[in-house]
Amino acid sequence: MSTNALLLQILTGLSRAAILFIVAAGLSLVFGAMRIVNIAHGSFYMLGAFLAVTVAGAVAGPFGFVAALVVAPLIVAVVGGVIEVSALRRLYGKEHLLQLLATFAVLLVLHDAVRWFYGERPRSLRAPEFARGSVDLAGTIYPRYGLFIIVAALLIAGGLWALMSRTGLGRDIRAAVSDPEMLGMVGVDVRRLFTIVFMLGAALGGIGGVLAAPQTTLLLGMDVDIIVQSFAVVIIGGLGSLLGTAVGAVLVGVTFALGIVWFPSAAMAIVFLVMVAVLVVRPTGLFGIPEA
Amino acid sequence: MSTTTTPTRRRSRRPSLATPDWMRPRTGWTAAAVIAVAAPWLVDERQVFVLMMVLILAVFATSYNILLGNTGMVSFAHASYYGVGAYAVTLSALHLGWSPLLGMALAPVAAGALGYLTGLVALRATRLYFALLTLAIGQLMYVVMFQWRTFTRGDDGIHGLRLPDVLGPTLNRYYFLLLLAALAIAIMGVAMRSPFGATLRAIRENRDRAGFLGIKVKRYELAAFTLGSAFAGWAGGMYAIFDRGSFPLLLHWTTSAEPIFVTLIGGMNSFAGPVVGAVIFGLLRDYVTRNFVYWGVVLGLVLLTLILFLPGGTVEGLKRLWARFTGGPPPEGDPAAPDHPGVDEPAPASRGGVR
Repeated sequence: MSTNALLLQILTGLSRAAILFIVAAGLSLVFGAMRIVNIAHGSFYMLGAFLAVTVAGAVAGPFGFVAALVVAPLIVAVVGGVIEVSALRRLYGKEHLLQLLATFAVLLVLHDAVRWFYGERPRSLRAPEFARGSVDLAGTIYPRYGLFIIVAALLIAGGLWALMSRTGLGRDIRAAVSDPEMLGMVGVDVRRLFTIVFMLGAALGGIGGVLAAPQTTLLLGMDVDIIVQSFAVVIIGGLGSLLGTAVGAVLVGVTFALGIVWFPSAAMAIVFLVMVAVLVVRPTGLFGIPEA
Repeated sequence: MSTTTTPTRRRSRRPSLATPDWMRPRTGWTAAAVIAVAAPWLVDERQVFVLMMVLILAVFATSYNILLGNTGMVSFAHASYYGVGAYAVTLSALHLGWSPLLGMALAPVAAGALGYLTGLVALRATRLYFALLTLAIGQLMYVVMFQWRTFTRGDDGIHGLRLPDVLGPTLNRYYFLLLLAALAIAIMGVAMRSPFGATLRAIRENRDRAGFLGIKVKRYELAAFTLGSAFAGWAGGMYAIFDRGSFPLLLHWTTSAEPIFVTLIGGMNSFAGPVVGAVIFGLLRDYVTRNFVYWGVVLGLVLLTLILFLPGGTVEGLKRLWARFTGGPPPEGDPAAPDHPGVDEPAPASRGGVR
């Protein structure tokens, strides 16, 4: 493979990693603070993507995509909040199994809800005008939109880092990761904090969906596809670690993009092999926190 | 005054010395057997296929409950062994020209062997990370089955399996599957009533304490995983005969959710739970999918309701109703730990926690 083709493939892998990072960061954030593995997280991604089509259609013109990028994740966050308050909240402190199954039940409901509202027809969304076409990177022609989502992911990563390390909310979340009971004792409303964290996680899933929409065809199975890949990311990187999520996303994205060149039919199998290998050597992932 | 009623009176079913445990009459199972034999005569032919699916689900879910309810392990790879069982029948017929009956004998062996090998890897982790590792292993097996076109025909699946003439008529096929289901459930029942089963439940109750008692926890977990996989393969073999084919989706991790749902509906804390759940799940799915497209919405809401209000499933609900009716004490073994809002404790080491 020529250097140019290799570079192109790595860039493709990185733009895939960008989406994976945004979505998996939401999954990881919720797990870190609440110790809930949210199987329904992929549904937030799918919901975000389909809502983006609706919003961008309603707000015609150059600002359609920007409007979608703001409005769709907000709606997804509200849906997440409703789910947290009505169902998940009752399950904290109970068995992990029940929490896992509850989020699985939510996945089923949201999947069919999207089918109900949008039907079986695949949808698509055009990239915003400022990110159409391609750019020439030292001889490698690369779609401008791919660069746009890589930049977006970097901005979100920076924003999340600032949120966690520079704000009161981030301090509370970090405290919840280590000891929610103690956090409650010092007067923080842990219930409310968990709702906020869950909404934030859902919004990240929604943003990932909106950003992924112009690159893919929107199909009903996309919720299950992305959740398996996000699991691969957070498992390799380690649940609950932002840095681990970034490393995992790059590993999975680039492995897949390169794998598809050399072993077209086995690319996903290679990703899962990497995942099994990491877990066998380091059962909590590269940067993960061991389960209490 | 009120102290005269003691809860000890419900301990009347003590095993007596005269009849060994396995020979005592079991009213519920006898009734179930009578209904299962009579059922195909009471419904039309299409519904007989629904009943066959119930039989398969009953075996599949009971095999899963060896892990879930008895040992307290959550696995997302269970569908892989189910799928491998189905492919054992179709692939041995396709490449070796074996009869499906011989393939049916191969199914639990192949799935059990694969379960043992993958279990060795998966059991390096515990609890939540074990569950996630099984997800990775299961998906790996799914992708292999999906992509290895020359051997498995990939996405198309294998269809049109030739059955022996005797299995051609629907009724014959039903009774053959009923026989297989009864045999599988009987063997699993004996295993779970044995000291082996009791040891698994000790591990579920408290893994650490079981270890302190000298139980080789990992070895027992691997044995449970292998046994569960073998009978998942058994159920998969039944599926291949039922559907006369196999396809990769049988191995997908979302298929692993089916026995979990079935078990949750029936009740994971009793051996009969998955069987009861299979009947409810199978009939409900048939009814809903024929009358209302959105099965996922119905199933999801039913599950959420059960998880929130009756985590012990139908069997426990019936026991509670019975206790209220007869004025006896409520059933023990309510898996719902006390609610501590907003506080995440270390997982209560009770039944079914992810490990």
